[in-house]
Amino acid sequence: MRLAIVGGCVFDPASGWDGQERDIYLENGRVVDYLPAVDQVINARGLAVTPAALEIRSPVAGFGQNFLRLWGGMPSPAELGQAYALLGYTHVHEPYLTLQTANYVHQELAALPIVDTSASLAINLRDVDLWLQDPQKLAEVGEAWAYLLEATRALNLHVVEPFVRFRQEFYRFRTLTEAKVMDRLFALLDHRRLPLTLTATPALLALDQPVPPDVHLSSLGAALTDDALLERTLQRLAAGLSADMGLLPPAPRPGLPSRPVQVDLGWFQPFDLLPEVDTRVAQRALRLAFLGKEFRLAFSVASLLPLPLSRFPQVFAWLGHADSRRRDWGHMQAEGTYSFSDWLRATRLLPAKYLGLTDRGHLRPGARGDVALYDLPAPDNWVESCQRCRLLCKAGELVVHNYEVVQPQVAKATHYRRTQAVPNKLVAEICQNRSLRPENLQVHAQPHLHWRQVA
Amino acid sequence: MSISLEARIESAVCPGCACLCDDIDVTLVDGQVYQAANICLWGASKVLGHKRFHPHKPRRRLEQPQIRRRGRWEAVSLAAALERTAEILIQARRPVIYGLTNTGCGAQAAALEVARLARARLEPADLAWKAPYYQSLQKYGVFWATLEVIRDEADTLVFWGANPLHSCPRHVVRYSIFARGRFTERGYEERRLAAVDIHRTELADLAELFLLIEPGQELSLLQELLATITEAGVAVSKNARRLAAMLQEAHYGVIFFGRGVSYGPTAALLDGLAALTARLNERTPFVLFPLSTDFNAVGLYHLLLRELGSPLAPDFGADGEIIFHAEPLSWTEVDALLVIGADPFWFLSADQIQDLHARRVPVMALSPVANRTTGHAEVVLPVAVAGVETPALAYRMDGLPLFLPALLPGSRPADQELLQQLAAALGGVSRRAACD
Repeated sequence: MRLAIVGGCVFDPASGWDGQERDIYLENGRVVDYLPAVDQVINARGLAVTPAALEIRSPVAGFGQNFLRLWGGMPSPAELGQAYALLGYTHVHEPYLTLQTANYVHQELAALPIVDTSASLAINLRDVDLWLQDPQKLAEVGEAWAYLLEATRALNLHVVEPFVRFRQEFYRFRTLTEAKVMDRLFALLDHRRLPLTLTATPALLALDQPVPPDVHLSSLGAALTDDALLERTLQRLAAGLSADMGLLPPAPRPGLPSRPVQVDLGWFQPFDLLPEVDTRVAQRALRLAFLGKEFRLAFSVASLLPLPLSRFPQVFAWLGHADSRRRDWGHMQAEGTYSFSDWLRATRLLPAKYLGLTDRGHLRPGARGDVALYDLPAPDNWVESCQRCRLLCKAGELVVHNYEVVQPQVAKATHYRRTQAVPNKLVAEICQNRSLRPENLQVHAQPHLHWRQVA
Repeated sequence: MSISLEARIESAVCPGCACLCDDIDVTLVDGQVYQAANICLWGASKVLGHKRFHPHKPRRRLEQPQIRRRGRWEAVSLAAALERTAEILIQARRPVIYGLTNTGCGAQAAALEVARLARARLEPADLAWKAPYYQSLQKYGVFWATLEVIRDEADTLVFWGANPLHSCPRHVVRYSIFARGRFTERGYEERRLAAVDIHRTELADLAELFLLIEPGQELSLLQELLATITEAGVAVSKNARRLAAMLQEAHYGVIFFGRGVSYGPTAALLDGLAALTARLNERTPFVLFPLSTDFNAVGLYHLLLRELGSPLAPDFGADGEIIFHAEPLSWTEVDALLVIGADPFWFLSADQIQDLHARRVPVMALSPVANRTTGHAEVVLPVAVAGVETPALAYRMDGLPLFLPALLPGSRPADQELLQQLAAALGGVSRRAACD
């Protein structure tokens, strides 16, 4: 299938295109330089042609999320997939997959139509605390994690609790502070290059240690509990830190339960599916989004419950329109504003880099043919046009046409990292403490699960 | 004697109950199960095909589709049986699809589609005590833990109206009473156990505190417990004081409840248990955990929540909207019944069965074995045993899915397959009706 998207104004921050009129050619699902003849032509006059968006952090498939549907807070997977497509997204990344819940998460991801998916393997440091304490064993820890990454079909590693603590008094001697854990983790990365994400916490942001450039800090917003941390985070971003915003709403969403909704996944603290929203923290998160605009700060929201997909256009408006910001946040001091290209960079280029999907987030030759077309934005108000996608191509196939999903059954896959690691003694030790045998912890091929390897 | 080919399947997942034990090592000889290690009586009844409480009595398998005409069974083709089922569902005004807790996720999803097309009500077999549980979560919030975390952390267990030794036998050794976990390395010795029931059960011999109560006393006991935990020095019974003390001394507790809660005022009881758990949870982790029995009961609620946004029984009978029922089905309102993965005639009263007969309510059953429901059915469709003769996906009682590959070859079709064909037949009728 050869396709030409002609006459559109192309916006692609990776290529430095900021609205130039160009033609984009797709052949066999990939962007190519030029095609002398094509099977189909899409007239994109009056439209903005952009790479499709990638959702860097979308907790839609994690264990326990289904409970949130008791309060009507979460749409069905079919609705979620369609909503993402209509916003111009073709990839969604789930941040919380654990060794125990890997099969659960993959079933949920498979239920999301249209969009490709991936997940982060959330590592419980309590499983390896004794190994982390011994610098001689770090290589083995790295090898074990690399093996588990592939066995659970995950894309990267995620440390949610960057410390080791125990509720039981007897285990107090095994405590590892954030500083100690960072020392060990960063040293471990010297042995084995693994894509690593850390959930931002106030303690982590307050540390003096420099974070290696290939480590990503996830969901900064909720960790900004005071102004000093905001300053510190900015300094880190200026030094090259990769992170995502973790935006929060100005006030809790009405209709959500006032009681806690928590799942104990065996971490030190139960996983809170409905964290409280502190207005001052939320304001800092938004301020950081503006102050860190020039750095490697990707777009994300902290949770889809207070900020569901239906509110994404509103969130985009906070970034791109001072009036919207004033309306929803009052007289909050927030410097600057996002241009259309800034927004594309934060929702396309940076998420693709973080996920390691080199053929996404841009429109250079060789990129996958994931293209989102919007009505051409007015120079001073791009927010209106990005509220819904006019056309969306996924791997060269038209999925959205005239603001409607026309191909909900388009092929989709879950991406995972191929590490070729072999199980070692530590893997055996980790699996020994599980309630399932290792062969049943692994994610097995099933007819409805489709995979794609990422090297 | 023919040549015996031996094959060994390790770490098979057992569809005997909602524990979904994944450590079943099966030896096959000549395509039959010769030996199954680590399996309980419930699992063995599924895998070896014998009666649950009578290991030496094989269950009678249904061989071919049958339709009852003028009181006599008639063997028919699969297509004819499906056609008759579709016909009955289309003609019915209040059709009900019942059961589904003892079958795989694929069949459950297909049954949901059949319910939608037939404008039927879909009734999970254990709705009577699961619906109030989910309603209590809406009111008091959720604190959930996987069985692995419970095994590792819980030092105080209460079984309320539940006897795991009968409902899910290996639960006690794999996850609760005797299991050794990361922080409960001495297993039974490191846990405190209490049970509340209206009958004396085997737990009485294991528990530090066994409260044998009269039917109807549950609510007053709960109120006493709540009062004791909320205010110090309240005058309550000795039993309530002892149980409250045990709960308050816990570092990590779980209240397992079972089908026993449905014998009393279920909604009020679940509300009270959830209130108690929420109160305890303010101080220390406490989980309220339904002890599901059927191997994929949790999968059905998961599907309903995910696809429809409610765990209650969906009724597609109304125009354009789905009505969700928390109250169990009133059998007097049913005018056609399709049963999958359940045997409701086992517990229906003689009067209820009499009423169904008197009103000539057609019953259609998809079942691998002959049971009371197939005995009363008008259409019987034999199916393979899900998770044994056909692969299935099922959710363990804590909500973690496990894939059950087929262990044995089977000649009967999977229930999922039949339900998909039924949905296709109903879809064709709906389309024709729309064109007319």
